[in-house]
Amino acid sequence: MSFLPAPLEPIRPALLTRVAPVTRLVVGIAWLGVAVVAAGPAVPMVLAVAGVGSLVLLSGLPLQRVPGRLAPLGLAALGLGLLTVLVNPANGDPAARVAMAAGPLRVTETALWAGATIALRLAVIALVSLLAFATSDPTRLADSLVQQWRVPYRFAYGTLAALRIVPLLAADWTAIGTVRRLRGIEPRGVLGRVGAFGRRLMVLLVSAVRRAERMALAMDARGFDGDQPRGVFRPVSLGWLDAAVLAAGLAIAMAALAVGMR
Amino acid sequence: MAARPRAAPGRRAGGLSELTPTVADHLGDAPFGIAGTSGTPPSILARDFGWTYRGRTRPALAGLSFDVPPGHVLLVIGPSGSGKSTLARALAGLVPHELPGSWCGFLRVGDLDVAATPARVVSGRTGIVFQEPESQLVMPRVEDEVAFGLENRGWGRLAMKARVPEALELVGLAGFETRATAALSGGEQQRLAIADVLAPMPGLLVLDEPTANLDPPGMDGVFERLTGIASARARTLVIIEHRLDAALPLADLVLLLDAGGRQLAFGPPGEVCRAHAEELARLGSWVPRAWQAWTAGEPPVLKPEPAQPPAARAVLVADSVTVRYPTAAEGGDRVALAAVSLVLNAGERVALVGPNGSGKSTLLFALGGLRRPSSGTVRVAERGGPPDRDPARLPGRSLAHVLGLVFQNPELGFVESTCAGEVAASLPVLGRPADASDPDVVRALRDFGLEALAGEDPFRLSEGEQRRLGIAAASVIGPSILLVDEPTFALDRRGAEAVVAQLDRLRTGGQAQLLATHDPRLIPACDRVVALDRGRAIFDGTAAEFLAHPPFRPAGPWRG
Repeated sequence: MSFLPAPLEPIRPALLTRVAPVTRLVVGIAWLGVAVVAAGPAVPMVLAVAGVGSLVLLSGLPLQRVPGRLAPLGLAALGLGLLTVLVNPANGDPAARVAMAAGPLRVTETALWAGATIALRLAVIALVSLLAFATSDPTRLADSLVQQWRVPYRFAYGTLAALRIVPLLAADWTAIGTVRRLRGIEPRGVLGRVGAFGRRLMVLLVSAVRRAERMALAMDARGFDGDQPRGVFRPVSLGWLDAAVLAAGLAIAMAALAVGMR
Repeated sequence: MAARPRAAPGRRAGGLSELTPTVADHLGDAPFGIAGTSGTPPSILARDFGWTYRGRTRPALAGLSFDVPPGHVLLVIGPSGSGKSTLARALAGLVPHELPGSWCGFLRVGDLDVAATPARVVSGRTGIVFQEPESQLVMPRVEDEVAFGLENRGWGRLAMKARVPEALELVGLAGFETRATAALSGGEQQRLAIADVLAPMPGLLVLDEPTANLDPPGMDGVFERLTGIASARARTLVIIEHRLDAALPLADLVLLLDAGGRQLAFGPPGEVCRAHAEELARLGSWVPRAWQAWTAGEPPVLKPEPAQPPAARAVLVADSVTVRYPTAAEGGDRVALAAVSLVLNAGERVALVGPNGSGKSTLLFALGGLRRPSSGTVRVAERGGPPDRDPARLPGRSLAHVLGLVFQNPELGFVESTCAGEVAASLPVLGRPADASDPDVVRALRDFGLEALAGEDPFRLSEGEQRRLGIAAASVIGPSILLVDEPTFALDRRGAEAVVAQLDRLRTGGQAQLLATHDPRLIPACDRVVALDRGRAIFDGTAAEFLAHPPFRPAGPWRG
């Protein structure tokens, strides 16, 4: 029984699924840095367009499921953008140029630009995280982090093991609630509800610790705690494709900056 | 290295003559080459070996002295809490190196003194398989999972590429390389766990109740593979197992432990069984059929109350219940239950059986109103009325009167910090204060053999005790319908009998019971059996009919 949404993963091979995860990470970090640091909406605008383009052409992700996945962040971007536009100190500045006015509402151009910048930055963050992480399975990401960036393997593969427990915990959480309902245990009042929530969380924690302990013991029994050099079953190599994607990605970031400078 | 299919189940069903220590010798050629191990398998030598976990006063194990020659199969038997798992952990070097406590005596695996050798070295020689497949599989994909242990031990890539399919073939999972581990059945997952530990070619293979969480087909698959591995004689095997019918034929030697973790007997199976039948009965261990001939003991069937003619008053009616789960990528869905219809009458006990993933839990959820069917209806009777209420729409307290559901993992339902409080937490449903000294609470604790634990924290109980506590808490309300997921799981014979006796008492009061179970002992104690397979009800009839013609396999362990 699955209580978590199915992961969004590539359904066909594509350019981005073929490059090493760390390559995508480097490009992603560069884009994020540029989008967040640069003033004005032009830079994140260019990156968002490039991001949507890569998503459609290069990611191999099932596009019909992308809007659903991006909806929460998209709404957040819109909401924050609107908020920035409407509640902005610049709107009270009599010297600023007015873009729109309706009754008591006065929106200055400065506020409009600030709102657009915020919204577009969030859009870039959402797109980049999708492009960098959803285009390969977590195993390959861990492999790449360990092999290319020398991330300690205990951390990388330990996280992978923990990820396997997450859906089990989600099922536990639902089960705890339903058992209580069936036992007729109904907390009264706000304090009662808060207390019940706390106890429910406690039971989940006990369950999580048990599962983690058993998993850790099983992993140690299979030599995970060893200090000898580890073998590599799935080598992740960097090739000319990675160089090309890196170059193109950084070029797009520079181009965006150049557009923003004008 | 071709793994030929073997007629292993026939062997288990075989007669006494096959239960001798040399049984594996005359079964013909070994199915797997010696290539599966590194050199000679190790012997095991224990001299007055004992272990006490830090913070406990009572030792988990004490005074073990035994020898297992290379390539032999040791079966470890004992009641719950007898330190069986501790012995398994010691053989893998996890005790004393990964778990704190104090060691005494001497334990040697091959030429390694376990106490004086780093865990990494011991675990390099020993492969250990635990009970729960879901908490020992690490990687999302099957071949990565098998390679995980090899990577840890620094194998080269080409050697791994060659060994992974070999290990999968050993457990009958050839061709599963790119499957998702989470999508495998319980039996497949446990066989994968065995492949994981076989891959680095350990000389010693330790299995700690490897089939405890499996359905009969899954359990069969595991034992079939173990039979092959044991008869190859290329590894020393230590098997800890409750289901002796399946495990005993494999054993060359038996180690019997008592509830205090002390060695009660050690020797060839026939000898131990003959000499210790009474102790075994007193321990409350489950005595398998194969032993009866030796011991002339009581037939090991849970004695049901003589089934009353079920009053034909329906308290639950499920009509064409279909449940679909949405699944991943394509936005499609999976049918978990396909048009299942079911009637439960007052005073009737029905067993719900079927392989893992056949929809048993989903059906319990749907009947309990916890999962709304995609189509079809569930109706329950309230206060002796006609079955016309939708359980999903009943308010909490009314629902608790009508329906009780005990989950497979009772821990998830616990709300209080003492056992007595836990049972008392059910009382407000009856309009009474949650008083731990209420006579009903005291009686329920006594009925389920928990009176000595009344002040204990429910989370510190053993799994079997937790199960009894879960049913005890539900029994206080006395709902007219009781749904239980695996009521006898993790219970030894005495615990299982206590639970069945209490279920009998509740049924006499007119309660309808639906028990989802893998336990063949429970079938004769039920009035009716409903069998599910891949979401469809493939059988609905009396227990006698079911046992005469089990719908799953002709000679399966359902005949127990």
